[in-house]
Amino acid sequence: MKAVTANRLIDGEVVFWKEGAWVDGFGDAQLFDDAQGEEVEAAVAAGKAAPTVIVDPYPIDLITVEGLGLAPVSYRERIRALGPTNELLHGKQAEGGAVVEAIRHASGAARSTGRVDLIRRK
Amino acid sequence: MYQYDVIDREFLTDRSNEFRHQVTRRLAGDLTEDQFKPLRLMNGLYLQLHAYMLRVAIPYGSLNSRQARRLAWIARTYDKGYGHMTTRQNIQFNWIKLKDAPDILDALAEVDLHAIQTSGNCIRNTTADPYAGATAEEIDDPRVWSEVIRQWSTLHPEFSYLPRKFKIAITGALTDRAAVKVHDIGLILRRARDGSLGFEVIVGGGQGRTPYVGPTIKHHLPASSLLSYLEAVLRVYNRHGRRDNIYKARIKILVAALGAEEFGRQVEEEWAKIDQSRADLGDQELARIRGAFAQTPFETLPARSEAFEAAKAASPSLARFARNNVKAHKKPGYAIVEVSLKAVGQTPGDATADQLDVVADLAERYSLDDLRVTHAQNLVLPHVKLDDLPAVHAALEAAGLATANIDLISDIIACPGLDYCALANARAIPIAQDIAKTFADPDRAETIGELKIKISGCINACGHHHVAHIGILGVDKKGEEFYQLSLGGSGAEDASIGKILGPALAADRVAPAIDTLVDTYLAARQGEERFLDTYRRVGLEPFKEAVYAQAD
Amino acid sequence: MPKLIKLAGPTGEQAAQWAENTFVNVVDEDAIPDAGDVILSLNRFQAEGDALLSSNSRRVGVRIEPAEEVEALAYDLPRISVVALAFPKYRDGRAYTSARLLRERFKYEGEVRAVGDVLQEQAGFMVRCGFDAFEPNDGATPEAWTKAANRFRHVYQRAVDARPIAADERAQAQAKEGAL
Repeated sequence: MKAVTANRLIDGEVVFWKEGAWVDGFGDAQLFDDAQGEEVEAAVAAGKAAPTVIVDPYPIDLITVEGLGLAPVSYRERIRALGPTNELLHGKQAEGGAVVEAIRHASGAARSTGRVDLIRRK
Repeated sequence: MYQYDVIDREFLTDRSNEFRHQVTRRLAGDLTEDQFKPLRLMNGLYLQLHAYMLRVAIPYGSLNSRQARRLAWIARTYDKGYGHMTTRQNIQFNWIKLKDAPDILDALAEVDLHAIQTSGNCIRNTTADPYAGATAEEIDDPRVWSEVIRQWSTLHPEFSYLPRKFKIAITGALTDRAAVKVHDIGLILRRARDGSLGFEVIVGGGQGRTPYVGPTIKHHLPASSLLSYLEAVLRVYNRHGRRDNIYKARIKILVAALGAEEFGRQVEEEWAKIDQSRADLGDQELARIRGAFAQTPFETLPARSEAFEAAKAASPSLARFARNNVKAHKKPGYAIVEVSLKAVGQTPGDATADQLDVVADLAERYSLDDLRVTHAQNLVLPHVKLDDLPAVHAALEAAGLATANIDLISDIIACPGLDYCALANARAIPIAQDIAKTFADPDRAETIGELKIKISGCINACGHHHVAHIGILGVDKKGEEFYQLSLGGSGAEDASIGKILGPALAADRVAPAIDTLVDTYLAARQGEERFLDTYRRVGLEPFKEAVYAQAD
Repeated sequence: MPKLIKLAGPTGEQAAQWAENTFVNVVDEDAIPDAGDVILSLNRFQAEGDALLSSNSRRVGVRIEPAEEVEALAYDLPRISVVALAFPKYRDGRAYTSARLLRERFKYEGEVRAVGDVLQEQAGFMVRCGFDAFEPNDGATPEAWTKAANRFRHVYQRAVDARPIAADERAQAQAKEGAL
């Protein structure tokens, strides 16, 4: 699965593509499956065509977090979707909820075993 | 302290108006992001992971109480209530909106602050010894020369589009608290045998991808020729520094490629052609700037304060604070007080708006309205009477600012890392927090003694990991955060670049590895050796064996 | 032909105005036109400049790329009408040094023109370094250019222009105060 993300020009907020608009929450992002490559490209192109609205649109890969939902694969994107891990009340994570929990529990990029989950704070 | 006059103030107003105009044009689509980016960077505005980040210049790390309160107000009004002190003595705010940035610059300009050249490929804010004007070691006050350079470098018409960023640091003391040997230009004030004032000029130090301890290219530059000589250095760099590869564009690469001797020769050749009578600052202006720093109204006090001695005897926490955070002052009856922003569990270098207000009040009431930021991301009250130390300590303690750990193992430098920074490969802050927790016992920390841990979230090395006794570099290894340890670096007068210990470690193994390194050091320590001294005596191997044997 | 903005006076008064661009920029692949003012690359000028200057009455300019050193023109400057300093990217700042050297070291009095990626953001720096002609590629008008070049009421460092620096202004103010 994929989503398309960018930062909003006027305030720098992380935003996600949703059917022709840019929305704040990862939970509201439009999801594309692997067969929808052209639609992903179209969303990125739409972002590039709106340089006074957003900056630097790009697609991100998602994974399923067992029993919780979807989350970005890369830890960088998980931090973008949540907020900084040193201030748990700042950024998008402040709202809490199932989407935030799913991202916090994601460790999709982890390939070694036995290591701590880097997103979840000890 | 230097006071801005009408010229300095009108300049800031003009700058602020210029930026407002640029933001308007960007929002209207008249400037592309590619065109706008260098412009916003030269006003300290980055687009980071979650928002824009604004880096406000604190020239030579020096603030008055009114400025500190304004920074607190900005943190409250436009940010989420905190600011982050940087390794170049600046402060940055993490949650800024582009649309607010022009208003913030106006608010800063009202108190003689700005964000000019805190980023971009230009001459950055000049940093200096945070003990300037307070330490007895000082040959001359580096703030005088930093202010001279601030003015000269501000919107320099020839040197605002250099191959890469350009950082200058100055110390007037032999103890180097400004990391002058790992800057593009490091200046050390010295007196010649005949007593004349001059600079040892070090060019081409630096960190990042290719760290260097800079070579000295001039042993004694007459102080009054500073600007013409800087012009020569910058001109040689502007013309011949590489522009084809961003990673090879810093002046250190040019100096290393030419060799220090040849680079120095080219500078001398250029310098000889410069009309010094035009390029150098006149005596009158120099005297005006010097005068501004000379008028510190110290009182004549006894060298010993009975009140302080009695309070210290009665309070172990004050005694610990005095041992670690209180430093000798040049005037009898005064002390330099370091305010640690490294409380266990806190983000290194962060101060809340309320804490900034508290420190501003203390600076106004107890430190001749003078406050400093250190490159180690702490604050300094430079001129506190010994008699006032108990009151200052109590006020700091109430604000969570009395952590007695200056230069100890929990006084960790950390860049914002991947929690905020768009360039980072890994987080730095949680690693610092883990280590600080591991060494939370203050007695143990004092037993270990001076140990400088510095963490960077990427190879750009904002966290100064190359010049740490124990350096930690965050890397992305197959999509995970890993950390590469290095030992034996120093950013002080005994500068050196650290050596990589071995393969990078997973995040949860970093703090235990530090624990192992410390145990290895304590077992091998002779006499009063610091960690660095022991490392330099016994080498890397014992440390490497200890960490990787345990890790297997 | 790109539009040309020039400073109004030879003394560097900073009001800018549209100017007629009589020079043809000749790229190395093209033949030099039979008549009219031309700007040549440094290589071309070094190969063909002598013949061109002695054979007819047209004016000749030289285009200097950032990596080329203006020192190469030292002996030719008196007969060169325009030195066009190229900005392939506006972030490439080498031409500022070239301009200063032309004016301060070689006392060049002809036109120093900024060509390439020339934006109004650079106007102040360019004027201070001795440029007096500009081919802006951001659509800047002379009005916008003048405004941008004069945005700052004060300057801190001596350059090519005759503006008093902050230290001069302070000394003057002090002298005035002393005279009262």
